[in-house]
Amino acid sequence: MKTLLIAALAGVSMLAINSAQAVERGGTLTFARYDDSNLVDPVYADRNPDIWMVTNLYDTLLRTKADGKTIVPGLASGYEVSADGKTISITLRDGIKFSDGSAITPADVKFSLERATNPDFGPWSGLLGSVESITATDNGVTLAMKNPDPTIISILATFNTAIVSKAAFDAAPGATDQEKATALFAPGTPVSGPFTLKDRSRGSTMTFSANPHYWRQGEDGKPLPYLDEVSFVVIPDDATRILKLQAGEVNGAEFVPFSRVAELKADPAINMELYPSTRIIYSPINSRETRADGSPNPMATKEARQALNYAINKDALVQLITHGTGKSMTSPLMASTTQLAHDGGPLYPYDVAKAKELAAASGLEGAEITLTTLAGSSDDATLFAAIQQMWGAIGVNVKVEQVDNPTRGAKNRSGEFDIHTYGWVNDVNDPAQVAGWLGYYPTRKAVGTGWNNAEFNSLFEASNTEIDPEKRSEQYKRMQEIYADAAPLLFLYETPFAVALSANVNGYLQTPLGNNEFSSAWIAK
Amino acid sequence: MSSLSYLVSRLLQIIPTFLLVMVVIFLLVRMLPGDPAIAMADAKATEAQLELIRQKLGLNEPLVMQFFYFVKNTLSGDMGTSILLKAPVLDVIIERIPVTAFLTLYAVCLSILIAGPLAFVAALNKNRGLDIAIRSGFQVGLSTPVFYIGLLLLTFLAASLRLFPVGGYGTTFLQHLHHLMLPALTVALYTSAIIMRNLRSAVIEVLDADYVQFARSKGLSRSVILGRHVLRNALISTVTLLGLSIGNLMSGTLVTETVFAVPGLGRLMLEAIFARDYPLIQGLTLTFAVMVSLVFLFTDMVQAWLDPRLRLS
Amino acid sequence: MTQLDTLQASTPQKKKLHPRVKALLRPGFLLGFFILSSSILLAVFPWAFAPYDPNAFDFNAIQKSPSWAHPFGTDNLGRDTLSRVIWAYQVDMQIAFFATFFAMVIGVVVGSLVAYHGGIADVLFGRLVDVTITFPFLVLVIAVVAVLGPGLTNMYVAVTLVQWVYYARLTRAEIMTQMTSDYASAGRVMGYSSTRIIFRHLLPNATTPLITYWMTDMALAILLGSSLGYLGLGAQPPQAEWGVLIAEGRNFITTAWWMSLMPGIAIVVTGLGFSLVGDSLADVLRPRGAS
Repeated sequence: MKTLLIAALAGVSMLAINSAQAVERGGTLTFARYDDSNLVDPVYADRNPDIWMVTNLYDTLLRTKADGKTIVPGLASGYEVSADGKTISITLRDGIKFSDGSAITPADVKFSLERATNPDFGPWSGLLGSVESITATDNGVTLAMKNPDPTIISILATFNTAIVSKAAFDAAPGATDQEKATALFAPGTPVSGPFTLKDRSRGSTMTFSANPHYWRQGEDGKPLPYLDEVSFVVIPDDATRILKLQAGEVNGAEFVPFSRVAELKADPAINMELYPSTRIIYSPINSRETRADGSPNPMATKEARQALNYAINKDALVQLITHGTGKSMTSPLMASTTQLAHDGGPLYPYDVAKAKELAAASGLEGAEITLTTLAGSSDDATLFAAIQQMWGAIGVNVKVEQVDNPTRGAKNRSGEFDIHTYGWVNDVNDPAQVAGWLGYYPTRKAVGTGWNNAEFNSLFEASNTEIDPEKRSEQYKRMQEIYADAAPLLFLYETPFAVALSANVNGYLQTPLGNNEFSSAWIAK
Repeated sequence: MSSLSYLVSRLLQIIPTFLLVMVVIFLLVRMLPGDPAIAMADAKATEAQLELIRQKLGLNEPLVMQFFYFVKNTLSGDMGTSILLKAPVLDVIIERIPVTAFLTLYAVCLSILIAGPLAFVAALNKNRGLDIAIRSGFQVGLSTPVFYIGLLLLTFLAASLRLFPVGGYGTTFLQHLHHLMLPALTVALYTSAIIMRNLRSAVIEVLDADYVQFARSKGLSRSVILGRHVLRNALISTVTLLGLSIGNLMSGTLVTETVFAVPGLGRLMLEAIFARDYPLIQGLTLTFAVMVSLVFLFTDMVQAWLDPRLRLS
Repeated sequence: MTQLDTLQASTPQKKKLHPRVKALLRPGFLLGFFILSSSILLAVFPWAFAPYDPNAFDFNAIQKSPSWAHPFGTDNLGRDTLSRVIWAYQVDMQIAFFATFFAMVIGVVVGSLVAYHGGIADVLFGRLVDVTITFPFLVLVIAVVAVLGPGLTNMYVAVTLVQWVYYARLTRAEIMTQMTSDYASAGRVMGYSSTRIIFRHLLPNATTPLITYWMTDMALAILLGSSLGYLGLGAQPPQAEWGVLIAEGRNFITTAWWMSLMPGIAIVVTGLGFSLVGDSLADVLRPRGAS
């Protein structure tokens, strides 16, 4: 009986593979999420569950291909950058419409981009800091720039510049833009993306239905999306999310714990996907001369921080925590999927002898270091146990301090920590965001480490106006060298996005930035 | 008339208690360590954005004023905006109340359905095999953590045998019944153990009582006696017990809703705790207190109605 | 430990089986006593019983099912589940004690004083009880844990802050019934100090319900401690605590069932031990005459 069942399941998955050429339309895909979206709006989305849904509802002028690096036309059919880099002309595609059938006009684009540049609206306006003004033309918009900006094209392919309907905002209730945006995150709002919001129950469910006026064509020559609906259920508990998939109650579950990947891969009814991501797991090291309490900081020298890095067996961590799905970092500033990542080989390969030597030279031996971890996180607990063993070998004692997420964030800001766990995913398709976050002191004290390197800072500033790609790449290479050598972080590992889907789901994608793309997803019947 | 005045006096008693409840909640939340502004903002937020949030929350005002505003706003239905869900706390809570209320009521019904028959069987077989088996079963149940029972039910009845959905709430009444069966069963275990124990001794007591012996000697059948004498007494004590265990039931929903992914107040409470969402923690704690008080009040009313002597004392 | 002393003190008189001794020889009590004493033994000397270091990884033995080498199997990091369950006895028995003892001491002192002196203190105490029972216990404890931050010590503080009220309420009720008794009034007539009357005369008569309640409360404390550990608010991994172990095994409940089953059994058995002993002691210590 059991073999029969397996044979039947194998037959089903064979069918799925055979029919991979011919897409099938219709149906509802049910997807289990780890958290709900609170406000899906291009400028106010500030948490990953919000950000990663924006492009399903709102389309951008330019789009990033699945590799996360190549920019292709979106609502704009093309763009042109003037020779001095200070004028960008964007041409809109013909015949594009919002989900209510009204045309997407240059006025809508101007309105959307002006929202995106308004420093009072949301946390992302800094990404468009170089934009001086936006003017609508007959068939598009023109951006006048304060200075040349190498990142602007990537930003036009980023969620925060997605196009909203001006008419809808004008008509929406509310005194402020934010109130209007909140009111518009509701069924019936005209949107430019492949889906419209059908209904939503805060914190538990959300349904998208296909936008009948979406412009992009599918493989069968008809407009996307293939699905009629996407139905989301919010299940914060990892194990329950997977049980629901295994029980056939949902077609997909995101954030599969890495410990479950092998098991789900072996299940013929489940298609276990590991999407390349820009996610890095690292730990900021307090690099200041003294600790927050005024005592001398044993990690103040780069030799000490290098010793700590050399003493960590990253391959072991990749096995222990990511169960072989991750890999050690090769660029100190970013994941290898990020543009301009310079692959300098594995960073700080495990070398106890070298670590001991550096530890002795820098007076790190015998030091007591506190690792601040996230309470309740089993990954952090494993990391601590492993690091405690590994650093014991170079004579460093590690204590653990377990806190919740907001407390960890507060400690990062105040510098009241030795080393704490952290992670990062790019929101933007350009390395400037992550480089600014991790290394540029004025942004946030180089992720709160207090590391402040004049050469790095000036290289970063220069790179933000450098439009010669070659030169910018050089600047980035140098920044990565400086950063790797100074080691204000424990460089741990990169992880993919683990999503488990039923075997009959095809074409779903989570981009390296984390965006959930349902526009090309379809279910084989 | 007398029951109306009883109700009024009972309601008046609640007011000072509630003022104290508000003080406790207010102080508790003000003592939350760290800066609520940091909890509210994204890690990437700048110092200026943080200051803006602090001003909006009135965190720079003196404590007494903050308490005054808290009471005033709460009475006018404004419990602030949830950091986690970015929506008015009151709206969020009102959306979730039916789920938790449904689960709790369902659990109460289940515990009566489970405990009632078992108590009678146990009492009629006092100190014999069946009685000992039933009591031992409940003893083991009471020694098992709620989350563990939930986990086992979820794994075996839902995931493996697929008799019930793996968590969720559903949309129609029948779906609610189906989805919440296992969570309600989990929550019901504790109360059913208490009710069983109480009913069993109540039945035994009545069976041993002189007037029952007398009634039996008159030839009345056992079931008639049980029906006439036991049920009424048992009803009063069961209502009292259920009323007193409401806090326990609610505690149970906290854990159970988390294990079964039920979108109710309990799961929200834990999410709020982990996110340090202090307006939401405040609102939820208050909601739980209100719900418990209402149940206490309701229990008193039912008791007074069942047993008129109570109204006089 | 007091209940164990009284127990030993009463065993020598064997000639004619005293009804109390008879109660102690019931299988329920014997089983409970056996469970509790083994639990205490395991908690005090875990290193003597655990075959492995509870925190040592073994990459050659990842998620091995139970065998002679690993009777309870191994977890996802190759740690020996039996050793982790045994070391967890130390933590969970500590929880049973620390999460209840201070609450009891504070509660008994406050409860007796309030009962003896009455007046405004008693009225205020009544309000405090009203407020405390208005919150579901777990809601209040979790809210306090949120204030203090997750962890074992903070959990003890949180539980004590809430639970002492219940002990005080019980003590007060017990003492109130004793207050009218002859020796209390006699004591007052003879000019004894209130401390002496409370601690020498009134409290000893309240010990039976208190000890019974304490035993039940310790069982509940283990359930509470493991629940908070499971939710990530109590003991923190990698420390071995039953709730934490179940949470760690939760993801593997279908593939490596032993990871969550074994600590689950430990909780049930220990909880059962406490309640069996508690129930029997209630019978034994019940005042003579009552049946």
